[in-house]
Amino acid sequence: MPSDSNSTSSNYSSGRDDENPNSDPNSKPEPQLEPEPEPEPEPEPNKNPHLIDQSLDALENQLASISMSSRSPTVTFEGEEEDDVESREQPKSMNGSFSEEIEAGGDADSLEVGRHFESDSKAESSGVNGENISFTWLDAPEVDEVERPLSPGSSGYAGEMGSTSGGDEIVDDDEDDSDIRGVENDGVLGSNNQSVSGKRHADEDDASVSWRKRKKHFFILSHSGKPIYSRYGDEYKLAGFSATLQAIISFVENGGDRVNLVRAGKHQVVFLVKGPIYLVCISCTEEPYESLKGQLELLYGQMILILTKSVNRCFEKNPKFDMTSLLGGTDAVFSSLIHSLSWNPATFLHAYSCLPLAYATRQAAASILQDVAGSGVLFALLMCKHKVISLVSAQKASLHPDDILLLSNFIMSSESFRTSESFSPICLPRYNPMAFLYAYVHYFDIDTYVVLLTTSSDAFYHLKDCRIRIEIVLSNSNVLSEVQRSLVDGGMRIEDLLVEPTSRAGAVSSHLGQPRPGAGTPGRTADGSIGIGGPAGLWHFVYRSIYLDQYVSSEFSPPINSLRQQKRLYRAYQRLYASMHEKAIGPHKTQFRRDENYVLLCWVTQDFELFAAFDPLADKALAIKVCNRVCQWVKDVENEIFLLGASPFSW
Amino acid sequence: MASSANKNINAKLVLLGDVGAGKSSLVLRFVKGQFVEFQESTIGAAFFSQTVAVNDATVKFEIWDTAGQERYHSLAPMYYRGAAAAIIVYDITNQASFDRAKKWVQELQAQGNPNMVMALAGNKADMLDGRAVAPEDAQTYAQENGLFFLETSAKTAANVNEIFYEIAKRLPRLQQTPNPSGMVLVDRPTERANSASCCS
Repeated sequence: MPSDSNSTSSNYSSGRDDENPNSDPNSKPEPQLEPEPEPEPEPEPNKNPHLIDQSLDALENQLASISMSSRSPTVTFEGEEEDDVESREQPKSMNGSFSEEIEAGGDADSLEVGRHFESDSKAESSGVNGENISFTWLDAPEVDEVERPLSPGSSGYAGEMGSTSGGDEIVDDDEDDSDIRGVENDGVLGSNNQSVSGKRHADEDDASVSWRKRKKHFFILSHSGKPIYSRYGDEYKLAGFSATLQAIISFVENGGDRVNLVRAGKHQVVFLVKGPIYLVCISCTEEPYESLKGQLELLYGQMILILTKSVNRCFEKNPKFDMTSLLGGTDAVFSSLIHSLSWNPATFLHAYSCLPLAYATRQAAASILQDVAGSGVLFALLMCKHKVISLVSAQKASLHPDDILLLSNFIMSSESFRTSESFSPICLPRYNPMAFLYAYVHYFDIDTYVVLLTTSSDAFYHLKDCRIRIEIVLSNSNVLSEVQRSLVDGGMRIEDLLVEPTSRAGAVSSHLGQPRPGAGTPGRTADGSIGIGGPAGLWHFVYRSIYLDQYVSSEFSPPINSLRQQKRLYRAYQRLYASMHEKAIGPHKTQFRRDENYVLLCWVTQDFELFAAFDPLADKALAIKVCNRVCQWVKDVENEIFLLGASPFSW
Repeated sequence: MASSANKNINAKLVLLGDVGAGKSSLVLRFVKGQFVEFQESTIGAAFFSQTVAVNDATVKFEIWDTAGQERYHSLAPMYYRGAAAAIIVYDITNQASFDRAKKWVQELQAQGNPNMVMALAGNKADMLDGRAVAPEDAQTYAQENGLFFLETSAKTAANVNEIFYEIAKRLPRLQQTPNPSGMVLVDRPTERANSASCCS
């Protein structure tokens, strides 16, 4: 951010550089990210980045011409872009992918949209227009994926969308759980219009200009070309388009090959074939192929959760089977999942997150769930929104993080679960994609709900009794009020990351979300970053424990204020994740990447993966030091932020 | 199946009918006195209980509000198994929902509890302009099949309590022994009981 450059560059003369990152007295034999492999001893590497990184830049630019997918989406700044890549990226292997420009023709027309890309990103990085952009939150959670001219106020597009929804205003930026607001809003405003939580823009089809301008389409179709689901537009009206997609897939299949990816200008068309079900994503968001494919996998998983894989049998009986009616009433489930692809790191980390709670509180919840699980309950989950409070599996059963994601998405996006207790068949695709389990769902309050899963269709009254027992214990031990408090207090704040290692011991005792007198504020002023972000320009981090299959994400704080910025950061993490896990040349251990938006640092060990975002002018050595502190901090509070000793994969 | 201790009767009641006929709206009107114009689709089945007092007894209804979506049809036996009463709901503005209601009646007659009290509810009776099913047709059909028939409106509350009270009155007063777990298994096994997949 150019506007920040003055304040942040003063950072580097603040005198904290002399602190040797390795002189940390508390340093354990734990992995430490060492700045040594840095070839640059320059104290202020950012003042003149091109001198140092010219060769890397040149390499990067070369690579970029080969592989677009790992690039930052801002094309305009390419010349000024500066990337330090410790673990050098190799050209993406394109094996098996069908990478060919679609030439002129009817369909190429419909793909030929993304021209205002530069102006869009300019508006975004200037950081000025963010608040003025008319934002149809309810109707189009992905609205910033839709091209708009430089001046957002005059965007004809926003006006167009405004006609379909009352909520043209951008939603308050400061809350972390913006995501849930979406879901709640659906419920609260549901009386306004049925389409609010159901199909979005059902009136569109592939002939509509607005439909073509959508930045990210998802389609599910059958192998005979019948539409099953489309994110935008009416499925039946899209029958022709769906048949075209089917034709592309079967054309390649007839040649004994498989189509994975088609690039058409800025658009990527990603295909996923699951037996008789085809899934397609058409996107100009520049997300890596692996990410988009993972998103299609999740979409398929969500469908399996609703129907089980035995839906394939319908196609064996009748290849022309029309599946849309089987998914009746589930549009809200799919749109909520697609929306969460841009705010929920669980969608690409394949890990779940826990609500921060005192260890004893979580233990109280765990012990009653454990009691219940002994009595014929396969999985018992206590959740608050999309975060786990506690979960227990019957012996030998394991619950995959993706199943937790899909299950909680299904429950939270279906308003019906809130009206009363319910007992519904659901399938956990990673547990057993062929069979239904039966889910007893009950909300204790507006955010907190219990899910009891069983294999027995007769177990309702038993599960109801279990729920009553759980409810008694939870209210006697104040778990529910602690949960509400945790929601208010929030999770880890980067401002609370202690700069001085000596004062870190104090942090262990205090509750996560509590303000720590004398810790945050002096740390920040000493840092010179005038109240923005954490030490050394740290803006945000995500820490994933590999052993626990859980992650923790810091709260958003300035300057990552708006939903758009948060989403953009997640996209950046997603690219980082994909590049670190690239099969051909990965996995990598560290990556330090600087562009005009952030410094991104990723560090992968056997125990954890850390993703951290810093001010774009952050100093590398300092950033590395701060990452070490973050890891230590996470370890210090791990029994509050993680569910320990109940790893679903520990069997 | 209903059970009585003195004059307290527990009765399992199931609502069946096409998507959007108004099953959830009827239940919410009866149990909570609420009505929302755009009720979300039910997932699986929602459970409610409500007690009504009739002349000679107190009837505690355990109500299963089932989802009308096609994918849940094969799972319906799970919910109507052992039910003492059923309300089959259709939308008076939608002929297809009336046809669907007849199919549910057939299925219950074939597979349900033979002593089940069945009611036919023509819902959305406030929407006279859009009427597609004549009340006479429904009345005739109900008589032929041993159901009692009322046109209801969850929106205006017309006949909503009445239909539940009428069921409460008609429930047989001589009861089998109560099942301690509350779950009553079928007298004769239904052949669809183990078809747990969506479309078998």
